[in-house]
Amino acid sequence: MPPRQRQALEFVLDNLVWFMLLVVLGIFSAVIPNYFQAGIFANIVEQSSVLGVMSIGLALVIIAGHMDLSVESVAALSAMVTSMLFASSGIGLGIVLTPGWLVVPVSLGAGLLVGGVIGALNGFLVIKVKMNAFIVTLASFIWVRGLVVALSGGRSAQNLADEVRWLGIQRVLGIPLTAYIAILCFVGFSFTLAKTRFGRHLLMIGGNQAAAFRAGIKVDKVLMIAFVLSGAIAALAGWLLAIRTSGATANLGSGMLFNAFAAVVIGGVSLKGGVGSLPGVYAGVLLLSAINTAINLMGLPAHYTQVIHGLLVLAAVLLDTLKQTIRKQLA
Amino acid sequence: MTQPLLELEGLTKSFGAVQALRGISFSIGKGEVIALLGDNGAGKSTLVKIISGGLEPSSGRMRFEGQEFRPRSPSEAKAAGIETVYQDLSLCTNIDVVGNFFMGRELTRKVLGVPVLDEATMERQTAEALAAAGTRIPSLRTKVEHLSGGQRQAIELNRFVHWGGKLVLLDEPFAALGVEQTRRGLQMIRQVAAQGIGVVIITHIMQQAFQVADRMVVIRQGVVAGDISRHQTNADAVIGMITGETLTGSGPALGAGS
Repeated sequence: MPPRQRQALEFVLDNLVWFMLLVVLGIFSAVIPNYFQAGIFANIVEQSSVLGVMSIGLALVIIAGHMDLSVESVAALSAMVTSMLFASSGIGLGIVLTPGWLVVPVSLGAGLLVGGVIGALNGFLVIKVKMNAFIVTLASFIWVRGLVVALSGGRSAQNLADEVRWLGIQRVLGIPLTAYIAILCFVGFSFTLAKTRFGRHLLMIGGNQAAAFRAGIKVDKVLMIAFVLSGAIAALAGWLLAIRTSGATANLGSGMLFNAFAAVVIGGVSLKGGVGSLPGVYAGVLLLSAINTAINLMGLPAHYTQVIHGLLVLAAVLLDTLKQTIRKQLA
Repeated sequence: MTQPLLELEGLTKSFGAVQALRGISFSIGKGEVIALLGDNGAGKSTLVKIISGGLEPSSGRMRFEGQEFRPRSPSEAKAAGIETVYQDLSLCTNIDVVGNFFMGRELTRKVLGVPVLDEATMERQTAEALAAAGTRIPSLRTKVEHLSGGQRQAIELNRFVHWGGKLVLLDEPFAALGVEQTRRGLQMIRQVAAQGIGVVIITHIMQQAFQVADRMVVIRQGVVAGDISRHQTNADAVIGMITGETLTGSGPALGAGS
């Protein structure tokens, strides 16, 4: 195969999910009436923000060869803590800060702290106590959600302070500021993973932990940072979710874990670790949103979304296997 | 061979009542390739672990470049320039050649105050190092998983040399390689040695030992049963030393314990 053709093929393989997204958007635009308009695309981006942010943390831990099932519950806890402190109705305490804008950094800080602590606990149990990450984070998934229900007593907090809400309402180019926060996260962490030593070490640990250790990489430290980041990023997702719903309910965000997993896998991250990039994950999230939007527009019952997501995950894994085969023949 | 690179003097190692090594003495010169031979259980791996810092000897001394040498961990030995190259434990196959070459030692440059991986410089240095060693790898941006076993070994060895390695221990380096790759691997070991690096290779295959080694050191029941130049012996004599059938021709420097 001539080098140029080979390079082109490698490029397509590396960015397959983006091509899938384009194809899917093209088909929907052609087939579904009213799909092809700026408002719809803005809506897809907006819908992707919370799930997208959550997927970043999950992807980082999976790329390092581990697992974090707790992201959904951590997001819910962060949303609940934020709402209980700064929402004025329901179980919200309605704390008012002066000046009012202080509520933005303070509520975000509170959420990130909660997420970071849970991430650190997960990391400690996995790295120091050497428990299995799947089990540790499954336990966190359960007890953190339990904590959300216990804290709230099953009730909800509404009417988040206007200064925070503003981030969800104010639009630039038809997209709310919260979506820009998500995009900024993707840009920042994509850069971190691809261009910094920390990102490179994360990939190496996911690929061959023993080799990374023997090469002098501080494996425990890097993994700990990954778990804390995953918790904090999930908390950020929860904070964005609270802004979007202007408060929190006890079952806020339940079921998001599986969508996050789907996005990560569709985005080309291997569950075996060591493989994946964050732009791909973002494309995976956009793809899920694009399909959700199509289902809404066509007026299909919402249950079909789940069926389609499930099939999409299967297709993604199949595609991954196919990609591997093609790459082997290229080499 | 003026000053030896590494000297072993009466090394012993006991695990409880079991004496794995009963006084091992020999030396390795700069640029010398030694084949460490011996039957299973003779004490070869215990010895290699002691040299590379994985185990501490019960008694005896080691001198490395004339200095007292007693590594307490593999990283200490590595810092001194001694390393065991294990297959599958040295490379991240999901990363490209350059990334592996600089694993744990990545170069960065500041972009707006943020340290960013300096891929261009790393690629250039990798290319130079591999070219100097006569290793040809088509694309340095290929992930290692797409390379052959021989190419992987070349990367490991060149990396070791590039980062100031002085003595490399290879445990069955050709176990998984084909004929042609083994031939190239043996050639590469000669090249590495030609740069003044000491090489100890553990192997069961007599033919390989005779192809590459300057000296054969045979360990039997925890002592040196033979330490002899390749030119002064032959495969049958060495096999005799390994199994203990012959005592003649076992060379001048017998271990202290025998």
